[in-house]
Amino acid sequence: MDSSDLPRRPELRNLIIRNRKRTILGFDPQQIIKYFFGANASTAVIVLVLIMIFLVREGVDFLPTNRHELQTYRQAGLEFCDLVDRPLREHQTLSSSLRQCVSAALEPIVKDARERRNAAFLLKTQAEEKAARQREALENALEREPPPAEDQLAALRKDLQTAAAAASQALIYPSLFTAEETALFKAQLAALSPELTDLPPFIQALSAEFMTQDRAAREKYADLVTAQEEFDEAPDDLHELVDELKEQALGAKQSVEESHALAVNRQQLLEAAETTADPDEKASLIKEAEASVGEEVDLTALTKELTARTGELQTQIAAYVESAEKAAASLPDDVGTPDAAALLQKAKKGLPAHVQDMREAATALESWRVDKPVSMLRVIGAFFFGTEWITNSSWQDFFGFVPLLTGSVVIALIAVFIATPISVIAAIYTNQFATDREKELIKPVIEFIQAIPSVVLGFIGISLVGDLIKEFSEVSWLQWIPGFPIQERLNMFNAGCLLAFMAVPTMFSLSEDALNNVPRGYIDASDALGATKLQTVFRVIVPAGISGILSAVLLGLGRVIGETMVVLLVAGNRIAIPDFSAGPGVVFQPAHTLTGIIAQELGEVSRGSSHWQALFMVGIVLFTISLLVNWCARAVARRFESQKA
Amino acid sequence: MPSAPVPASVSAEPLIQVEKFNYAYGDHQVLFDLDLNMRSTDVTALIGPSGCGKSTLLRAINRINDLVDSARVVSGRIRVDGVDLYAPEVDVISLRRNVGMVFQKYNPFPRSIFENAVYGLRVAGIKNRHDLEEAAERSLRSAALWDEVKDRLHEMATGLSGGQQQRLCIARAIALRPRILLMDEPCAALDPIATARIEELILQLRHEYTFIIVTHNMEQARRIADRTAFFYKGRLVEEQDTMKLFTAPDDPLTESYVTGRLT
Ligand SMILES: Nc1ncnc2c1ncn2[C@@H]1O[C@H](COP(=O)(O)OP(=O)(O)OP(=O)(O)O)[C@@H](O)[C@H]1O
Ligand SMILES: [Mg+2]
Repeated sequence: MDSSDLPRRPELRNLIIRNRKRTILGFDPQQIIKYFFGANASTAVIVLVLIMIFLVREGVDFLPTNRHELQTYRQAGLEFCDLVDRPLREHQTLSSSLRQCVSAALEPIVKDARERRNAAFLLKTQAEEKAARQREALENALEREPPPAEDQLAALRKDLQTAAAAASQALIYPSLFTAEETALFKAQLAALSPELTDLPPFIQALSAEFMTQDRAAREKYADLVTAQEEFDEAPDDLHELVDELKEQALGAKQSVEESHALAVNRQQLLEAAETTADPDEKASLIKEAEASVGEEVDLTALTKELTARTGELQTQIAAYVESAEKAAASLPDDVGTPDAAALLQKAKKGLPAHVQDMREAATALESWRVDKPVSMLRVIGAFFFGTEWITNSSWQDFFGFVPLLTGSVVIALIAVFIATPISVIAAIYTNQFATDREKELIKPVIEFIQAIPSVVLGFIGISLVGDLIKEFSEVSWLQWIPGFPIQERLNMFNAGCLLAFMAVPTMFSLSEDALNNVPRGYIDASDALGATKLQTVFRVIVPAGISGILSAVLLGLGRVIGETMVVLLVAGNRIAIPDFSAGPGVVFQPAHTLTGIIAQELGEVSRGSSHWQALFMVGIVLFTISLLVNWCARAVARRFESQKA
Repeated sequence: MPSAPVPASVSAEPLIQVEKFNYAYGDHQVLFDLDLNMRSTDVTALIGPSGCGKSTLLRAINRINDLVDSARVVSGRIRVDGVDLYAPEVDVISLRRNVGMVFQKYNPFPRSIFENAVYGLRVAGIKNRHDLEEAAERSLRSAALWDEVKDRLHEMATGLSGGQQQRLCIARAIALRPRILLMDEPCAALDPIATARIEELILQLRHEYTFIIVTHNMEQARRIADRTAFFYKGRLVEEQDTMKLFTAPDDPLTESYVTGRLT
């Protein structure tokens, strides 16, 4: 080809020098595009930082606010009252187990008589119901003014008699009664009429029989019964005194709060006055501020009134302790049934500790100082280690988040415990054993679970899972499972099951990815060395994918901890630390969670109150936990990855 | 390489007999009417352009292709020591224990050197520590790796050099004392020195094991193989004494391939 035929090409020199014309507002378009993409990528980071700042800004004031509250709690003397009141609450628990113990002890003796009496009462009601129409007719006639003619009444009476006789025949008499008793009772039921005010004599006799039995039983366990009654009444005087002091303290607290509110109001008005330009308005604001002054509350005087009664309190405590100890000493050893014995043991074990607590309370009263300042450390401790979350209380709010944390953690652990084997095994099956058609079925189905709105799962938890667990817990051959039969349908186990279900897609997909990423070469090598399929799976594939599986589990945990709707609906929402002394059966107790409490309470509290701030603190903790869990997941993945390389 | 191939004894019975073998992945047939005998005393090299089915044939011999869902025998058979490999009575696991395989990309497990060496024994159910240690030493010595790793047996195998890793894979395969060793381009990922060591190893071990080696390296085939088979598009073109195949092949196709003129 002739080179002169070629079209003339521009000089290379000109080509490689940058064409300066192509700029947008003086910027290189390449740069602009780069910034645009960069900005989009950093949005996520910026939003995350903003969220953190927002949470912290709302929550951080909690500590000073709560400190102020706790200060008032102390200065107004509420703390002083609580020194006695708190340990005294244990009395109720002990007393109730003693009461249960008494009824359990009496039960075998009075059971027959009571059942006979109750059965008779039931039969009477049934008989009356069957003849209700005739009965009402007669009743109405009797009440009428003027009274109807005697023959009319006689007819009604006759109707009723026939109906009552028929009813008494139609009833089914239980085998609790002998044949003679049945005949006798039948006749009495047939004679029932509104004109008779007394109970049928048979029922009267049965009631009397029951009373005799009950009296006999109480006599037999006289020791127990008197001890119980004495213990029950023992703190009455002390209670009265404490209640009086509490009322006084509460009054003091309220006046302090009022004057504080007025002071805050005054401050705000003054600030507003500073900023307004209009002199008239300024003057009126200042006037208003001047008016917003509460009377000075002399707390020291008020609390002195309380502490002045320390001696009185101590005497009462001593009296209570003495009678409690006496009651404890007079408790018998033998109470018949094993149920009763167990309850008695519980009370016997609890009593000395309770007495000790009361004694300590008496000494603590003396060392209590109203003017001791509340340290910040204590406020922080009260939040992070506080075992009580009490809000909207007429006495004192406490924001201790341990019960919420335990609830969240236990539920999350249950969920992970259930979900991990299911999802990992499903992932192994899908990845290694399933045919292509099975894969096409399993994967989308499991991933679809993610699309189920959690509130729908909540329904299922309330209506289906709860009932199922309850029913299972009552099956007789399952009674060896700790915690069975369960009390509450809505409990941590129920919530854990549903959360496990929600965590399965995350765990499954990520584990499956991890298994998929195991190099083909490992699998070939293992097969070529004569390993069976299962050996290859468990000796090569799972160990090689373990980092991915672990991080899948951790990410599942993160998902579960942050889940709100299901726990709110299903966990039972009881704000208390679950009773771990119940062993593994603890999972069947209800609980509240970090997420649940925010969702439930944030809408109802007033903005900026200490309760509001406390909820933000919970939010911060939750956020931190999630960050940590995710970070751990990444760290695990990275750590094992670097080991492999 | 100094040692010249040992002349094959003509009388030896073929250990592996491939008869009218047709093989396919799904509908895509990759081996056509293969007829090939390999004797236990020979080192056999399989050569041919990429995609002609060499790996497929190897993977059919220890039936590791069973794990590929679409792979199937269309017709014909492979006999090993007279037994039809695809007959139902064949125990695939035992077959693989006795027909070892070394892959192109060295693939030790991400575990210790020792665990790699004894993996085959472990999955075969041997638990006795002493037996395992003995087997590990024997196979690592056979693979000429012992001196290099004897002080670091419990370090990760992935910390070894590529050549060492490949020799570890050979050790891992011979720890089971197989009869046949299938090698699919064992030196493709190695430098010339590591390659030379492996070739040396093959020549040392050739009396204990029957080697079948896939290679793209003509020189390598010349150096180590007694017999060489040339494949083209799924068919066997020529199977010959190595010297003859490279110097005076019967088929013009073979000649153009070995001289590098095949287009
Ligand atoms: N798992 C598989 N599924 C489907 N087809 C496959 C599979 N493995 C190999 N093939 C096809 O079989 C044919 C032969 O492949 P094979 O790997 O046996 O060739 P080869 O001779 O070993 O090539 P190379 O020298 O590149 O390794 C190729 O066309 C390839 O695409
Ligand atoms: Mg190949």
